[in-house]
Amino acid sequence: MAGIRLQRLGKVFGATRAVDGIDLTIPDGEFVVLVGPSGCGKTTTLNMIAGLEVPTSGDIWIGDDRVTDWEPGDRSLGMVFQSLALFPHMTVFDNIAFPLRIKRVAPAEIERRVRAVGDTVHVGHLLAKRPATLSGGEAQRVALARTLVVEPSVFLMDEPLSSLDAKLRVEMRTEIKRLHGTLRSTFVYVTHDQAEAMTMADRIVVMHQGRIQQVGRPLEVYGNPANRFVAGFFGVPAMNFVEGELHAESGGARFVAQALGLSLPGQRLGSGPAVLGVRPEHVRLVSAGESWPAAVSLIEPLGDATLVFLDYGGPSSLVAKVDAEEKLAVGNRRSFTFRRDRIVLFDAATGGRLST
Amino acid sequence: MRQRGFPLFPLVRHTLLLAWAAVTLFPIYWMVMTSFKQAAEWVTWPPRWFPHEPTLVNYVKVLTPGTSTFELGRQTLKILKPIGDSLIVSGIGSLIAVLLGSALAYSWARFGTGGRSYPYNILSIRMVPPIVIAVPFVVYFVTLRLLDTYTGLILVYLATSLPYVIWMMLAFVEEVPVELERAARVMGASRWKVLRSVVLPLTASGLVVTFLFVFILNWSELLLAMTLTNTEVSTIPIQLNKFQSANEGRDYGPQAAIGTIATLPVVVLGFLIQKHLLRGFSFGLLRK
Amino acid sequence: MTAAGAPGAGGLRRWLERERVFKWLPFVPVQGLFALLLLPNFLLLVYLSLLSWRITRGAWWNAAFTGLDSFQRALEDSRFLWALARTFAFAAVAVPLELLLVFGLAMLCRRSFRGRRIYTSVFLLPMMIVPAVVGYDLSMLLIDQGPFNQLLSLFAGRTVTVRWLSEYTPAQLAVIGADVWQWTALTFLVFTAGLAGLPEEPIRAARVMGASRWQIFWHIELPLLKPVIAIAVILRSMEALKMFDYPMLLTQAGPGNATETVAVYLWRVGWEFARVSDAAAMSLILLVAVAMYILVAIRVLRRERRRLTEEGAV
Repeated sequence: MAGIRLQRLGKVFGATRAVDGIDLTIPDGEFVVLVGPSGCGKTTTLNMIAGLEVPTSGDIWIGDDRVTDWEPGDRSLGMVFQSLALFPHMTVFDNIAFPLRIKRVAPAEIERRVRAVGDTVHVGHLLAKRPATLSGGEAQRVALARTLVVEPSVFLMDEPLSSLDAKLRVEMRTEIKRLHGTLRSTFVYVTHDQAEAMTMADRIVVMHQGRIQQVGRPLEVYGNPANRFVAGFFGVPAMNFVEGELHAESGGARFVAQALGLSLPGQRLGSGPAVLGVRPEHVRLVSAGESWPAAVSLIEPLGDATLVFLDYGGPSSLVAKVDAEEKLAVGNRRSFTFRRDRIVLFDAATGGRLST
Repeated sequence: MRQRGFPLFPLVRHTLLLAWAAVTLFPIYWMVMTSFKQAAEWVTWPPRWFPHEPTLVNYVKVLTPGTSTFELGRQTLKILKPIGDSLIVSGIGSLIAVLLGSALAYSWARFGTGGRSYPYNILSIRMVPPIVIAVPFVVYFVTLRLLDTYTGLILVYLATSLPYVIWMMLAFVEEVPVELERAARVMGASRWKVLRSVVLPLTASGLVVTFLFVFILNWSELLLAMTLTNTEVSTIPIQLNKFQSANEGRDYGPQAAIGTIATLPVVVLGFLIQKHLLRGFSFGLLRK
Repeated sequence: MTAAGAPGAGGLRRWLERERVFKWLPFVPVQGLFALLLLPNFLLLVYLSLLSWRITRGAWWNAAFTGLDSFQRALEDSRFLWALARTFAFAAVAVPLELLLVFGLAMLCRRSFRGRRIYTSVFLLPMMIVPAVVGYDLSMLLIDQGPFNQLLSLFAGRTVTVRWLSEYTPAQLAVIGADVWQWTALTFLVFTAGLAGLPEEPIRAARVMGASRWQIFWHIELPLLKPVIAIAVILRSMEALKMFDYPMLLTQAGPGNATETVAVYLWRVGWEFARVSDAAAMSLILLVAVAMYILVAIRVLRRERRRLTEEGAV
């Protein structure tokens, strides 16, 4: 059991800063997800924790050990790779047994532990088969079994589910979470899929261009994004963004955009170019009260809700997520408003969140 | 991957590699140097590593028109015609081999024509020592009046090159995704168009590599050339062999000159295709 | 299907389009070539071996049919048997030597480092050189007072004059050396291709599991390299058994018969002694000796290829 600490960790490849000085503390037993678009540095960070890449700056601690210079094999880690990395020429049994064989565990002990782990992940009946003959889900479990069998203090996972089909992915997600619940080890999980991050993480670490954008619990990151990037990354469909200007008003501020203007009393947000963000589920269709007119340009029924695209006169449509029962047709004229407590404002230049 | 544990590793590596590089280059170096030496410098003790009086006379001797003579005491080696002969025989033979062999490789890869074992059967042809086929070939060619003709030798080289061509092109053809061809056909392209516009461009480098490789093979071939030709056709390796066995007082200079001439184009070509050679040599066994 | 032009031309082209016709197009000339060239040859070979024919005695269709006499003579010809044994022995020495050499070289050249390109280019050079040239080039080097002996003297600290070309064992070593020198390049190519094709992630997984460099090599890389090693051994031994150029040009199969490979001897029997039937008979015996080997080689190649498509890369 061990927590992880990254201190000013950086990695430079030639002229590119893949990881640009990140600090992160992961308490023992936490399920942490590193999430971000391709190239954001999450896999590089994971590889540095594993020891497969040497940091160009900074340090890594696992437990009380400063492991920055340690060989991967000495760090007592379990790692699952995107391609699963099963040894194609060995049977499932030999694959799972391999880490034990390296450590020269007695054959009888190996037999016992492999079978035990095989039962835990339900691959006991596959032990004599070869990786090429396994299905996607079965291969996944074998990869998991191979990491479990050495009882590591930390589990690293590099997009392990991306090669699976949607249904299998959801199943395996639950499996992995269950595993975490049983073992209570530290899990560091890398993915580019925000839904995976939201459902699996105790805490999410959002990365972009080599830097950490925000760290927090899933709902926090979702509801309280630190900047425009984080806000736009989570949520399907993505948050609506409206570009405009903030003006200071007596008692608060006023946001003015192309076809929109609203007062934000009680908020001292400064003035200048700003971006207003509001999630589709917080855009309401109303018939009275402060609202703006719009025409329905597109309807996408989801089953449990409906997405409505509203042309309100601005540069692009707003997306609203409304109740499935609402009767709407393209061309309808409706008025909409926002849930005031759910509006977020960002600095147009830096993308940073503006708040009092 | 880091080489953490062994700080001296780069040094050891370079030492070992340099050693073998030296072994590799040594004979080549010596040959090139000898080709520029005058007769007096050929055999000295201690051997001269660099000609004190470099000269082109060996090259001149060898490249002026005329026919080689091999009588004791009066050997001269003329290489102009043999160069031409080698070019004709190897060039044409390899070209046709590549054309036919690639088409065949494509046909087998896409349609399975000839059966699953076809490439293996073809390969076993190449595995037979040429001396075995040389004996009947002579008799056969004499009867067909193909002995000592360009056509005869070209046909033989064609037959012996095909196995290599097929196997190498197989690797390259298998790299072209079938979907591309299917997409083109759905768009209305005829099979020929598909070959021309999709398969050919994507296997172009493979074709070049294969051609150069079998060209090198045929250019270097000795045994079959010796058995199947006499005076009309005479490739470079034949000349070298005649010379070597004919004389006692060796004419090293001109020999070295020929060696250098014979080698130079091939080395240059080989250098160019280096990168691609790797792919062709997988014999379909490379994991993608 | 696009519309054709004139009906006649369109008809032909469309007929060629049909898969059944299209796929056989290259096969017809190739199979024709093999049928015309190789099949009659083989039959002729068998027939000739059953005759007792010397070229000097007129046309072959007039020669006396003597059945298996030539075979008997061949099997009693100790020189032939020695040549056969010698050829296999040479191959048995040269091929493992090359394999070890190349393994080391390819492993050293695996990761990119400064100058790697240059080294690989140099290592591939010998392959491009005409073997006949290699043969006499080395004969130049290996004369008693030649540069090779001079180098040896340098290393040994005293004057070394190994008579490479005129003594039994040194001559054999020289011929084997020529083969190794030249064909290490090809084997190097195959190995480099193979090493490059090793899947990366299983190896990284093993590193994370704590496997030492040696363990990774022995348990993972080596088994995965089996197909490559198989190919290299097959290719190399195929060519080694045909050895002709080096003995001819380096030592003229001398001294005595020290380096007379079976190809050289058969050449002599057929062309210098003109005993064509005997040569034919011996060729057949050689073919039988090699055929076993060919069958095994093909079987191995097939198996490794099949295993690869089954295993895939997980």
